[in-house]
Amino acid sequence: MYKRIFYLSISSGIFAAFACIVYNKVYFFAFEIEFKKQVNPGSVIGINLLACIAAGAGYYLFKSLLRKYADRVFNIVFMCFTFASLVVPLAISLPLDVQNPELFPALAIPMHFFPFVGWFSLKPFFIRD
Amino acid sequence: MKKLNFMKKAIYPFAAILLVAASAFTFIKSQDWKVNDDYTIKFSSEDPSGEFKGLQGAIKFDETDLASSKFDVTVDVSTINTGNGMKNTHAKSDKWFDATKFPTINFTSTSIIKTPSGYDAKGNLQIHGVTKEFTIPFTFQKTATGGIFISSFDINRLDFNINTAEPNHGASKLKVDLNIPVTKA
Repeated sequence: MYKRIFYLSISSGIFAAFACIVYNKVYFFAFEIEFKKQVNPGSVIGINLLACIAAGAGYYLFKSLLRKYADRVFNIVFMCFTFASLVVPLAISLPLDVQNPELFPALAIPMHFFPFVGWFSLKPFFIRD
Repeated sequence: MKKLNFMKKAIYPFAAILLVAASAFTFIKSQDWKVNDDYTIKFSSEDPSGEFKGLQGAIKFDETDLASSKFDVTVDVSTINTGNGMKNTHAKSDKWFDATKFPTINFTSTSIIKTPSGYDAKGNLQIHGVTKEFTIPFTFQKTATGGIFISSFDINRLDFNINTAEPNHGASKLKVDLNIPVTKA
């Protein structure tokens, strides 16, 4: 079981990172603004992998402890964490040399949903109820 | 011939009178300075910290002639940048700086005096429509191309009626650091 959860975590992390990179390109095309120091391929891949591996660890823990109700509880907890994480791009203060910081949340907030989307999109391929 | 001699004799007293008369209208003009683009106006506190841009105005300063030196400068309030878009919007709103109604911060010096550590520019500081007598301490460092005005001082937003309804919302006392490189105008 833990192997499948691990593969799901890695796959959904890569999927989310890819989605972030594509969205970043689209955002640049639309607004001609980049936040290179904050959003770059390295940071995007790292953060998304970390988020999905943490989700995988949480899922494994819930499965071990709650068994029957694990999926329901995990889904709610994952959703809550995702929503709570939206505070970060809203509250963060960027370095003063970054132009148009007011455009940063519109770039970063959708990205916070990508691990959640990736996880649940790919979950049926790895774990069957 | 007699007339020519008279003119020769008169030319020196005439020149002397002209010199004295002209000197009565002579004054030492203080050096005008042009602000370079790489200036910084930073403010810091526990929360928030940031910077302003949009510095404009006239800077006349001569270390040897402080009497005719003068600062008359403005800063565009809408250029405030805290690094956070939400805070920037709030700072410009009518709750804080009210940038629409009071678009600039103005400082006009009335006197500049020498101090042991540098200079004090005394004058009127207008923020948020409130004008107060204010002293800005500064130093002036000469460089190859001009000089740099450096200053650091504290300011209390409540003195200028900025969000007095919430005195504990963010810091009320902020440290302001100015670094203004200039070249001769």
